[in-house]
Amino acid sequence: MRRLAILCAVSCLALLAPSALAQATDTIPPPSVLKRLSVDQLMDIEVTSVSRKAEKLSETASAIQVITRDEIRRSGATSIPEALRLAPNLQVAQVGSHQWAITARGFNSTTANKLLVLIDGRSVYTPLFSGVFWDIQDVLLEDIDRIEVISGPGGAVWGANAVNGVINIITRSSRGTQGAYAEAGGGTSLNDFAGARYGGTLGGHATFRAYGKYFDRDNEVYPSGDDATDSWRMGQGGFRIDAQTSARDALMVSADGYGGNENVFTGGTTTASGGNLSSRWSHTISPTSGMSLQLYYDHTQLSNPEPASQFSPGGTLKDRLDTYDLDFEHRLAFGQRNRIVWGLGYRFTHDVVTNSRPLGFFPSHLDHSLVSGFVQDEIALAQNVFLTLGTKLEHNDYTGFEAEPTARLRWSMSQKHMVWAAVSRAVRTPSRVDRDLKEPTQFPILLEGSSDFESETLIAYELGYRAALTNKISASVSTFYNDYSDLRSASFTPATIIPFFFANNLEGETHGIELSATYQPLAWWRLRAGFDVLKESLHVKPGEVDINHALNETADPERQCSLNSSFDLPRNVEFDAGLRSVDKIYTNNGGVLAIVPKYTDMNLRLGWHATRQLELSVAGQNLLHKHHPEFGVPDPTRVEILRAVYGKVSWRF
Amino acid sequence: MRAVRTLFCIAFGLLLADSLNAYGQSAPSREYQVKAVFLFNFTQFVDWPPAAFPADTASLVIGVLGDDPFGPYLDDIVRGEQVNNRRLTVRRFRRPEDIGACQVLFISRSQDKNLEKVLSEVKRNDVLTVSDADAFALRGGMIQLATENGKIRLKINVDAARASSLTISSKLLRSAEIVASRDD
Repeated sequence: MRRLAILCAVSCLALLAPSALAQATDTIPPPSVLKRLSVDQLMDIEVTSVSRKAEKLSETASAIQVITRDEIRRSGATSIPEALRLAPNLQVAQVGSHQWAITARGFNSTTANKLLVLIDGRSVYTPLFSGVFWDIQDVLLEDIDRIEVISGPGGAVWGANAVNGVINIITRSSRGTQGAYAEAGGGTSLNDFAGARYGGTLGGHATFRAYGKYFDRDNEVYPSGDDATDSWRMGQGGFRIDAQTSARDALMVSADGYGGNENVFTGGTTTASGGNLSSRWSHTISPTSGMSLQLYYDHTQLSNPEPASQFSPGGTLKDRLDTYDLDFEHRLAFGQRNRIVWGLGYRFTHDVVTNSRPLGFFPSHLDHSLVSGFVQDEIALAQNVFLTLGTKLEHNDYTGFEAEPTARLRWSMSQKHMVWAAVSRAVRTPSRVDRDLKEPTQFPILLEGSSDFESETLIAYELGYRAALTNKISASVSTFYNDYSDLRSASFTPATIIPFFFANNLEGETHGIELSATYQPLAWWRLRAGFDVLKESLHVKPGEVDINHALNETADPERQCSLNSSFDLPRNVEFDAGLRSVDKIYTNNGGVLAIVPKYTDMNLRLGWHATRQLELSVAGQNLLHKHHPEFGVPDPTRVEILRAVYGKVSWRF
Repeated sequence: MRAVRTLFCIAFGLLLADSLNAYGQSAPSREYQVKAVFLFNFTQFVDWPPAAFPADTASLVIGVLGDDPFGPYLDDIVRGEQVNNRRLTVRRFRRPEDIGACQVLFISRSQDKNLEKVLSEVKRNDVLTVSDADAFALRGGMIQLATENGKIRLKINVDAARASSLTISSKLLRSAEIVASRDD
């Protein structure tokens, strides 16, 4: 045990440096080392296992960017998608008032399917298309602790769908949100909004918070400037309880419920509602080991008007999804060199679709089970060289067993420089769209899913470098080469032409580089910059067919860059500016390329902490254009995003 | 399926071995290891008047009241350490009526319900009161070890310290959140 402690001390010391490289570890230095740390350094040690999984990931060799609560507040972001614009390793496009296209490392669309998103460990993807309905993912932004954005495959730990990236939205423990908080405001685009939270204690070792929020967002516009009739409103409430039931055990229980409706520019109104209940028990076995058990239930209900076409009258598609998920994880030190994490998971989804004439899923009722296990071993090859080998093995009802192995090497050259490299395999398992779709549901069917549709697979090669160059400058570089096979295509049988059906007829490569840097020139001035280059080359497999000529998957800017500046001014005033520039996007318009023009836009925010309790702010979003498009094909009904200004009052007491 | 069963056996074997191994040793959780170091740290940042000690050669005593979350770890931390030529020692007090001479008193959460009584009893004895009980500083304790976002934050009630003859170094105050007693 003693030698183990020394090894831990060595690995910890390297990580205790107050730099971008500093990460909490599971182990803790021995008393002799701890006693020499300053008070501030002691305060920087993660002591609880709340963020165990996330903290483990951030210390793994991967392209991770972390967005903090303070950065979100100062950016003026009013929703999770807006906050995600702060991650330089994501491609974020606002499609309409309530629709977003978000991805990492390409393959963007409104139904982007290669990104896994978790809120406090709860997967929020829909098995309908393996993507995320961004309009129904919300939290009180004030309660966010941080958002971890990992570009690159995370399948070895997170499983299928963590193909190109993982977003982890982590909210604060209720211990950190004690007291009352209220916010309210309004403006253009975001007509009005309000939110409140109260946190208190439940006896000696348990704390809670309860919150509620509401917003009402206005229409965006068509290129002509006319209203796009896509206004919407949503309300959400919930609670979270955190209890330290013993020195070694922590329990978390949380629940959220929401509901709202969204006008759709093609006519009618979408209604969305849902809720979830999560619980997590974490047990610390020893300073180097612990386990956690998480159980959640999630319910979503959507009712979506589907427009009529020349082939079908209009209708309403409804979807009711219930997800039950159980996850167990155990981490331990094995011998002197191995840190092992393993886990088991089970997920059951019960999906009930009420089909509409324009769009339907067959079977309409579908029960699915997903059983998974993963194991990962971080091996200390030398004092500062770590090799992580791991794999997830899961069984789904569509394609059976899938393995997603990874090998990652991390070399901490000094306290300030770290190089990492990784090779990983990831898969996107079929979604209901790929297998069960019929569009429309009766003759003449134009497009349908196929029972032959198999998993899309990726072999990814990554190389990265992170550095704290000085106390004031830190930077990271990540490069990747991704080799995809069996990507989704829309194919047809020559004899009948329609219906077109989904097949795995595409393959191809992407490569790129992600740069980010933070620079603090003065105590009161901070800069953050990001720059990405992404090259995508997809093609139809020899001898096969895709009606979209491999153009449907790559609606991504080749370059994008961002610059954020934060000033702390006298008299408790803060001033923030965010500039982003996004290259032109080639989108698929029925097998022909269409273009979203490149654009540069700017957000500004001025905030004043009038007293310790009261904060007043005014923020402007997309200020450089009256309105501009970010996605879609050129059309009089392509929705464009308006310049917006809003004011906000926040009160803590 | 045989392979799966074997894997399960190995997995649970690991879990069991790890648990047994852990209970064989007596290290407290990470949280209390760090808190123990904070207790030691406080002795470096606080000045006690000579009257706070029974004798010039007396050691500086860290008292732990109630259920002891540190175990022998705290003793390991202070072993061989000195502050102003005074040795550091640890004493445990099970109940409030057991409290003996000490300069630092860590009040365990198990004494939450006796907190106000304990604080008023030690008030006149120049004892630095420390606890991780909820709202400890608001309730009149001197230094609260609060866990927020997985990290330990210091909340110091300066008025409570001032009411005694203790001087808390500005180095410590700078890293802490200063709170005032609740007026109720």
